[in-house]
Amino acid sequence: MRMGDNNEGGLGTSKDEPQMNQDEMILAQQRQIEKEISDSIPLVGSLEPLESLNKEYLTDTVYLEKVKDLAKKYKFMRRTRPDGNCFFRAFSYANVEILTGKKEEFEEFYKLAENSKNALVELGFQQFTVEDFYDTYMEVLKRIKTAPTVEESKNELHTLFNEQGFSDYMVVYLRLLTSGQLQKEEDFYSCFIEGHRTVADFCHQEVEPMYKESDHIHIIAACAALNTGVRVVYMDRGTGKSCTEHDLPEGCTPTVHLLYRPGHYDILYP
Amino acid sequence: MSLESKYNLKSPGVKRLMREAVELANPTEEYFATPLEDNLFEWHFTVRGPSATEFEGGYYHGRILLPSQYPMQPPNIILLTPNGRFEVNKKICLSISGHHPETWQPSWSIRTALLALIAFMPTPSAGTIGSLDYTPDERRILALKSKNWECTTCGKIAEKLENAGKIDAQPELTQEESTLIKQIALKAEEDANRKMVSSEPKIENVTSDEENTLRQRINPTVNTEPVINVETTVQRSNSDKLWTAAIWILITIIVLLIIRRIFLS
Repeated sequence: MRMGDNNEGGLGTSKDEPQMNQDEMILAQQRQIEKEISDSIPLVGSLEPLESLNKEYLTDTVYLEKVKDLAKKYKFMRRTRPDGNCFFRAFSYANVEILTGKKEEFEEFYKLAENSKNALVELGFQQFTVEDFYDTYMEVLKRIKTAPTVEESKNELHTLFNEQGFSDYMVVYLRLLTSGQLQKEEDFYSCFIEGHRTVADFCHQEVEPMYKESDHIHIIAACAALNTGVRVVYMDRGTGKSCTEHDLPEGCTPTVHLLYRPGHYDILYP
Repeated sequence: MSLESKYNLKSPGVKRLMREAVELANPTEEYFATPLEDNLFEWHFTVRGPSATEFEGGYYHGRILLPSQYPMQPPNIILLTPNGRFEVNKKICLSISGHHPETWQPSWSIRTALLALIAFMPTPSAGTIGSLDYTPDERRILALKSKNWECTTCGKIAEKLENAGKIDAQPELTQEESTLIKQIALKAEEDANRKMVSSEPKIENVTSDEENTLRQRINPTVNTEPVINVETTVQRSNSDKLWTAAIWILITIIVLLIIRRIFLS
């Protein structure tokens, strides 16, 4: 409940406070870091050979070993911007990318998306704003779906996902769908929530706000909401020469493949 | 409208603000907000002081500044009418405004922010920056004065809401909205709570039940007494009694001493 202690961006206030407090400095630094990231890394990058990972770990034998292992199964990757939305953005992108060129499946997914709004409104989301996100979400799907060739579909997907406005709207809507799924199956998911939070509290604090990072529980719910499965390949400093694979939900046939390194998700391609 | 030619209507953020402008086009009895004629990203608003509080009868006018990434980032609220609760010309930080961007949700709207502001006015300021701790009487005087307050851009503000009630029936808060406002306020409550706890060690054992009661306080339709306030008053009146007793004992001793002196001499 702090008020008016920040004049960043010259927005609004006419008088500038001469002294900067600690909070302001932290905020300013955080903004600086965010800006550097957004200036240097696209929201969704272009296709790169998997070996491009080696550049990041030139002297790190543990990781180099694991990249080698990873290369046996995956040929390419696509990086996403590490802004806390990476799972939702990567998952959304990869899911739609797979659908391009598969007419029937795309049609099926489009129908699923079409029906998703009412369920959210029934759960108590503000109709007016849900509609706003839903409309843009459907518009993006439609533009990708109706492009004349697969090539053009993919280009449209890539362009839209790199336009901040559209891209973030895709993220928000998937966050809402995920939140909706968690709340719909509250009894099941409540077992996985730490602390004394209700599922609804968890959604308001960890799922719906932008830039909040995703955990297992987000992924499982997002998969359930989009009726698809994902394989997450974990690459960390853990023992062993290979990466650990997790299929979510367990036992599914995953279509989307994601690379997880502590704190971040990128897209993998066989 | 000139705005439509000025902005890229394809941008989701612009589309969103256009939508909100349409949604809020008619004043309600409690609030009115509209974008400036030449700037979709700055709005002016008027809210009515919540009834049954010292702000009753007051009209409060202010600016809403929308960041270019709205609705991904929260709007900033700046009050212009002196009100005794918030400093004027300063960005206000409810848990939904700019200083806690992490708690803002894109599915909230300008309307949400206004409703939260109204609900938040009567809560204790707890000595935070930008908050004012005027007495209820001072606030009442300001509320009275606010009727004649004028905005350099919008003119007399009281008129903006004055007629609204007659046109529209008082819009009921839907279930979803009152829950929403509770959520927003909760964050701020927790914050206030923490501050109170640190200054008043006796309240440290606020149970989660009490916290739930605290949540309700924000809902303007529920008239629960603020729990913490009750506790502090009780505490205060207890300590008041103690002091009174001590003073009486001291006076008695002094009188006795004087009497003794008179009689002994």
